Amino acid sequence: MQFARSGVPVVVMVTAAFAEQAAFVARAAGMPGIPTVTLPHPVAGSPAAALDALAAEVAPRCRALLEGEPP
Amino acid sequence: MTSLRSARVSAKDEDAALELLFARGWTDGLPVVVPTPARVEAMLAFAGGLDPDVVLGAVGPNDGEATVEKVAVNAVMAGCTPEVFTTVLACVEAVTDPVFNLAAVQSTTHAVGPVVVVNGPVRAAAGIASGTGALGSGFRANATIGRALRLVLSNVGGGRPGVGDMALLGQPGKFTCCLAEAEEESPFEPLSVSRGLTPEVSAVTVLGGEGPHSVMCLPDEGGGGADRLLLVLASALANPASNPAHMRKGMNLVVLNPDHADLLAREGLGRADVQQRLFELAGNGRGELRRYGGSLVPEGADDDWLPVVREPADLLVAVAGGRGLYSAVVPSWGGGPVGNVAVTRPVREDPACVVPQSRLM
Repeated sequence: MQFARSGVPVVVMVTAAFAEQAAFVARAAGMPGIPTVTLPHPVAGSPAAALDALAAEVAPRCRALLEGEPP
Repeated sequence: MTSLRSARVSAKDEDAALELLFARGWTDGLPVVVPTPARVEAMLAFAGGLDPDVVLGAVGPNDGEATVEKVAVNAVMAGCTPEVFTTVLACVEAVTDPVFNLAAVQSTTHAVGPVVVVNGPVRAAAGIASGTGALGSGFRANATIGRALRLVLSNVGGGRPGVGDMALLGQPGKFTCCLAEAEEESPFEPLSVSRGLTPEVSAVTVLGGEGPHSVMCLPDEGGGGADRLLLVLASALANPASNPAHMRKGMNLVVLNPDHADLLAREGLGRADVQQRLFELAGNGRGELRRYGGSLVPEGADDDWLPVVREPADLLVAVAGGRGLYSAVVPSWGGGPVGNVAVTRPVREDPACVVPQSRLM
């Protein structure tokens, strides 16, 4: 959020179980439209191969958001 | 005419006001004392010299601004007497220290909440229990200090279940968890002194922790009782079913009953010695831990020893409770870069004599 406040392009990655909390915190911080990518839950403890696969899956969307595509 | 800045809501009577507070989600699920302006003003007269608009810190996860006035509102709701208000203020200062990492404590799916240990003269002045049943029901100061802190986390920090507080199940310590250290019964220096303060300074030490896990050990000297006690405590600390055994960061708390503390002291062990011995014993072999944690356990040789914390000082030791067989271990959360780290903050002295000038005009 500090990056976002300073004008650096950001994308929030949050697992599905935390999506509501992320939206709540974003509203509280005054940035309700912050670009967000929702991941399956849980991610913590996932094997490295599963994380690699997930990263490959979401990377294009993250890149598009960082390059300015509307959320 | 009051100078309070908090938003007002109106109700036709006390009962309606209480129902309104429930409806707004501003309670912890139990009835609260309705924070009328007069009650909040009365609490603010005992703020240890702080004016109501002083900001103590930002309460995560939504970074709500914890002013002295906001804390007073929640202290009234919790049923605090004025004598405990400066202790509540110190608790809020502790949890809003960035080192405490409150947003993570509130947001983790693990079941942790603030565990408060009070040291110094304020224990007697405020009536904070340290002996038999101190973490149970029946002690107003203990109950209301922890409850006031919980209400601040919820009402100022947005830590409501399923939104700001993501604990999957939660635990009863999220209502309140506060005790005083039994300094007069302890063979060790006060916990706050071990953390850099002087004995005459009252202080709170706050750790994001689970509820206490009871451990049992007969405190006999003859049969190597001290070694067995250390083994029992270490076993509970390193429970391979627990978060700390796998995450291996942050701090955990050991609460020794006075008999157990005496047993260790008679063996010539001071607090630092106990921390060192527990650090050496509390851990798991990587191969054994993998049986429980699977992919949570990093790659490496099966016979590597994985301590439950990074260094001995991460195992806090306090003395409290009645004498006998049982002590307790309070595990924490070891996630994120550093896990849950305890913060110690002094309590402002003699609140009854330090009324801010603005309250006298």
